[in-house]
Amino acid sequence: MRGLFALLILVTAACAAPKPPPEPLAKSRLAEAEARAAALARSGDYAAAAKFYGDALRMATALENADAIAANAINLSVVQQWLGQNDEARRALAAVLDDPRTPFSERRKLQAELRRAILELSVNNVGAAAVWAGQAERRCAGLSCEYAATILNVRAQVELESAHPADAERLATAAAEHAGSNAAERANALRTLGRARQAQGQAAAAIEPLQRALALDRELGDPRKILADLSELSRAADAAGDARAASDYRERSLAVSRAMSDGKSTSEMEALLRR
Amino acid sequence: MSKVPPGRFARLALKVNAFLLIAFALGAAFIGMVAYKQGWFLHQSPIHFVTPNALGLNKGMPVKLHGFTVGSVSDMQLTDGGVDVTLLVMGDYLKRIPQGSYAKHAREAGMIGASVIDIIPGKGSQPLAEGARINFEPSRGISEIVDDFRRQAVPAFNEIKAAMANLSQAGQDVTQILAGLRQEVDQLPATHRAVRKLVEEATTATADLSFQATATLDAVERVASTLDRTVPPLSQKLASGIDSIDAAAGQLRKTGEEAQITLKSARPLLDKSESAAREANDVLSAAKRVWPLSDSFKDSGDGMLPIDSFEANGKR
Repeated sequence: MRGLFALLILVTAACAAPKPPPEPLAKSRLAEAEARAAALARSGDYAAAAKFYGDALRMATALENADAIAANAINLSVVQQWLGQNDEARRALAAVLDDPRTPFSERRKLQAELRRAILELSVNNVGAAAVWAGQAERRCAGLSCEYAATILNVRAQVELESAHPADAERLATAAAEHAGSNAAERANALRTLGRARQAQGQAAAAIEPLQRALALDRELGDPRKILADLSELSRAADAAGDARAASDYRERSLAVSRAMSDGKSTSEMEALLRR
Repeated sequence: MSKVPPGRFARLALKVNAFLLIAFALGAAFIGMVAYKQGWFLHQSPIHFVTPNALGLNKGMPVKLHGFTVGSVSDMQLTDGGVDVTLLVMGDYLKRIPQGSYAKHAREAGMIGASVIDIIPGKGSQPLAEGARINFEPSRGISEIVDDFRRQAVPAFNEIKAAMANLSQAGQDVTQILAGLRQEVDQLPATHRAVRKLVEEATTATADLSFQATATLDAVERVASTLDRTVPPLSQKLASGIDSIDAAAGQLRKTGEEAQITLKSARPLLDKSESAAREANDVLSAAKRVWPLSDSFKDSGDGMLPIDSFEANGKR
């Protein structure tokens, strides 16, 4: 019995991890700023999140921590794009893209280039988006990296915006194949595939990938994407001559839009319904 | 004579050939890799421009579009109109350069950065064709910048000069003003006498006024006596009001002292609460580090926000 008790104590002691050494103050402040920024971004307070990501970026720069500089610059660019501050988002990425001295990892450089491509495309700088996406693709080593699907999706959207829907369809199909377990990018690929087919006058063929995208986006629970899927579906059904289905999708997208309190989109959809 | 062990040099030619073959393959692979890195296998599209002055332009100088390297200066030939500079644009970047684009000699960081050829995109809808000629805008040298500054500064200096000349002319006016002042000072004794006469006349007028003022003062005295009767009751009321305010202030002071005593007694309790909270935090931190709980508290991901291609939909 005594031996069993001693063994139990030994096992318990073995399970306990040793006390970690105390972290330097500046490092712990950096970690705290990053954690607060992430929590604020999750809660939807993007302005406050941007402030803390900016603080974290400054601290990381002072500590010459290349990985933290890149991570915080990229996160800051994401939050600032959500706030509609595209110039600030571009400036944040410049901390990585315009600094040849700091030894950023290839992964971080790829992330920054991909973010820059997304940012440029969001403001209709299609040429610049293509250049940055091409740079990210070269760094992705034969599309074998984790961002292959995202890169292909951006390139597909670039081709779609450049009035090359056949190329967009090819790239979106490749993106869906490369998405693997990344359901968000698979849904994005299917949505772009639907748009590309519709742009080629194949409205009926566009409906199936759009419906699959909608199913995925509903699982992911992102109302912006659900709204985009329903809007594309209503257009595709309309173009395919299925007025009843088109009206149904419009009603659903109107309901989603109202729930999101997106006044502009609601007015657009109401105008469509009145037609 | 020593004997060569059998089998040592058997199939020697085959081994030497295999060695040479492997060495050749490695050499070819190395050359191929260097060629690939240098972009020799990429299709490169030429475009060119003619400049009357190729100072600062060199072979191999990078060509940039939106700040991104898309090619380099491949050749420079002396022609009748100046120097014909050929740019090689890598891969399919040429289709990103619309018609109407022009090249500009620029520096990456203002006046002191590395020299580059910057392509400024035009407004055309179609891309440039291979071998197309584009316009070129040379960079301004220090002497041109100084000339430009001189052109802008000279009129300003002329205006300053004219203003200084006006000021110098104004000096003559000041002399005239001083002469006038002196004349006025000379006339001061006469002015003084006139003022004295005015004062004497004023004294006579004041004596008349004094008589009238005495009557007015009598009336004021009557009003003052009325006030004298009214003020004592009013002052008594004011005094009682001040006493009430004083009592209230005393009560407030007493309440403040009691609150201070209460806070003093609560302080140890607060200190204990704080230390208890800190200890609870320590216990929780330790629990987070102990298996199997440690797995439940692991952060998900590397703290990166999602890089989602959906965000590219921005304004569409």
